[in-house]
Amino acid sequence: MGGGDGHPEPESIRTTRDDHRIAWLAALAIAIHIAEAALPSPLPGIKPGLANVVTIAALVRFGWGTAAWISLLRVLMGSLLLGTFLSPTFMLSLSGALASIATLGLASRLPGTGFGPVGYSVLAAMAHMAGQFTVAYYVFIRHPALLHLVPILMTAALIFGLVSGIIVFMMLQQMRSARS
Amino acid sequence: MQAKTLLAPARRRGTASGLAVIALALALAGCGNRADSDYQRQFFAFGTLVDITIYGASTKLAQQASDQAERQFERMHRSWHAWHPSDLTRTNRLLATGKPFTAPASVLPLITLGKTLSDQSGGLFDPAIGRLLGLWGFESDQPPEGPPPDPKRIAALVARHPSMDDIHVDGSTVRCSNPAVQLDFGAYAKGYGVDQVIAGLRKLGIRNAIVNAGGDLRAIGRHGDRPWRIGIMRPRGPGVIASVKISGDQSVFTSGDYERYYMYKGKRYHHILDPRTGYPAWGTRSVTVIDRDGARADAAATALFVAGPKGWVATARRMGIHYVMLIDKHGIVHMNPAMAKRIHFETPTRPKVELSPPL
Amino acid sequence: MTRADIVAVILAVALLPVLYLHFWSGGGFAEQVRIQEGNQPPHYYSLARDQRIRVHGPLGDSVLEILHGRVRFVSSPCRNKICVHSGWLSRAGESTACLPNRVSVQIIGQDPRFDAINS
Repeated sequence: MGGGDGHPEPESIRTTRDDHRIAWLAALAIAIHIAEAALPSPLPGIKPGLANVVTIAALVRFGWGTAAWISLLRVLMGSLLLGTFLSPTFMLSLSGALASIATLGLASRLPGTGFGPVGYSVLAAMAHMAGQFTVAYYVFIRHPALLHLVPILMTAALIFGLVSGIIVFMMLQQMRSARS
Repeated sequence: MQAKTLLAPARRRGTASGLAVIALALALAGCGNRADSDYQRQFFAFGTLVDITIYGASTKLAQQASDQAERQFERMHRSWHAWHPSDLTRTNRLLATGKPFTAPASVLPLITLGKTLSDQSGGLFDPAIGRLLGLWGFESDQPPEGPPPDPKRIAALVARHPSMDDIHVDGSTVRCSNPAVQLDFGAYAKGYGVDQVIAGLRKLGIRNAIVNAGGDLRAIGRHGDRPWRIGIMRPRGPGVIASVKISGDQSVFTSGDYERYYMYKGKRYHHILDPRTGYPAWGTRSVTVIDRDGARADAAATALFVAGPKGWVATARRMGIHYVMLIDKHGIVHMNPAMAKRIHFETPTRPKVELSPPL
Repeated sequence: MTRADIVAVILAVALLPVLYLHFWSGGGFAEQVRIQEGNQPPHYYSLARDQRIRVHGPLGDSVLEILHGRVRFVSSPCRNKICVHSGWLSRAGESTACLPNRVSVQIIGQDPRFDAINS
């Protein structure tokens, strides 16, 4: 085994069932993200965020850790595939994702019955938009006219969050009835 | 990468339409009341920046009115100057003789009004303390700087007790029984000046206007179908702390410790002196008064500043003032209930407020 | 839908009017800045073009800067520098001035938030 020359034997990476789950969920999210990128958007930064459906569903079924991984992988891989890695678009996506992950983390730790997919989705969508806008304003363009967009962006975030949440809810219902 | 080239056109299309919609959204967001009937003119006069806003008058009339206002302010500034040769300096020389004389027409109304207001304020507002102001360096073209004057000299002046009560008026004949008296109209000249200019605008048929002399203003009428919106600056730091709506005929005057002052060894020495002690009144940062007349509002703002957070209610009642906002040295806002109803705070966090009993 | 969900949605919906009120009330789209020296006729500058402006007053030169749709005093020959400390102006109706050097600055735009400032 190995020895004096200082090169250790490579260990094989053992993947767990969790890793597999994260991987295929992330792939699904990335696929949706890329498909969505082909759609025209009314304003840069406003997307229905359908990929979030995967994130929220994962949060409800598998916990926050899985959802966080999916979200980050989606932003990272999505930007690599779309050619926007390290661009301003990427920074905005990342800050939005981090904001919504953090918010979901806090929300999932609240005592009591907690939230369902709709609540999580609304919170995540609005945190995502707030995170994106904050970086856009303070890091990129500090033009006061941009502030005029805040109410519109947050309204859109609320609507898309609601829609995503309802989709997740219906999906999970389907999956439950399919299993029983 | 195949995916990259496939998707690039889609992204560009999205960006272009995105930018177009941003431009549209911003243009729409900017649509508000077009202020077509607003006439606004700024000029330096009366030792400060004067801002005249006239609503609903023809441009020709508004220009004529602003020209008249500028001339009026120039005239008053010349007549009432506390240290350049003027009607006021001449009056002060004659007052010091103790002999009766005929007061100049530009000065007499301020003497009689000053006596009334000083009496109503219980002596907290007193234009007769010119010597004290001079001692502190506030009667000079040079901005004053430390060190503060010798306490013995301050005490000596205060002991001589110069007061408006020492001036006796009989028609247009005036006599002063205390050589320590020296008039300085700074504490209410702006108010009186604004009143005169508003009267002049009215004579020309102007019904809706704001005359703002260095931040102190009187407004008549309204801005079309809505009242005038007035912002009130915070005493420390930039920005507006509160706003108030005005219509009809009202003055908003603020006395602050930030208007004329100097710092010496970490302490602020400002120009609102307490006649009882001879020193600046230190318990207060600013006082805002709303009243119909500018002269009354101006004098009251000074008197209430001196009265401070503990004494302002009694003084306001004596003077018949109904809207007061006092910010003390800790930044706490003191208001009477009627004022609290009118004030709308513009800061993200509400400051600490202490409501007084009704005035 | 859990109870928490309903609370979250209600809070989110309640937040919206607050945002509209805050970001859309008054101080409309600022377009120009009016700079006046003494009692001479004022000059108007577009806020869309970043630039520095030098104004000659009785005490010397005051320097103003337009950047990203906002304007401020960069420097002024007065003693207290109150004008410089007043910071950036961005919304219609906002104003500042250097009294000793007789320079006044005001943002002109639609629907200014205040008709006059009391100070």
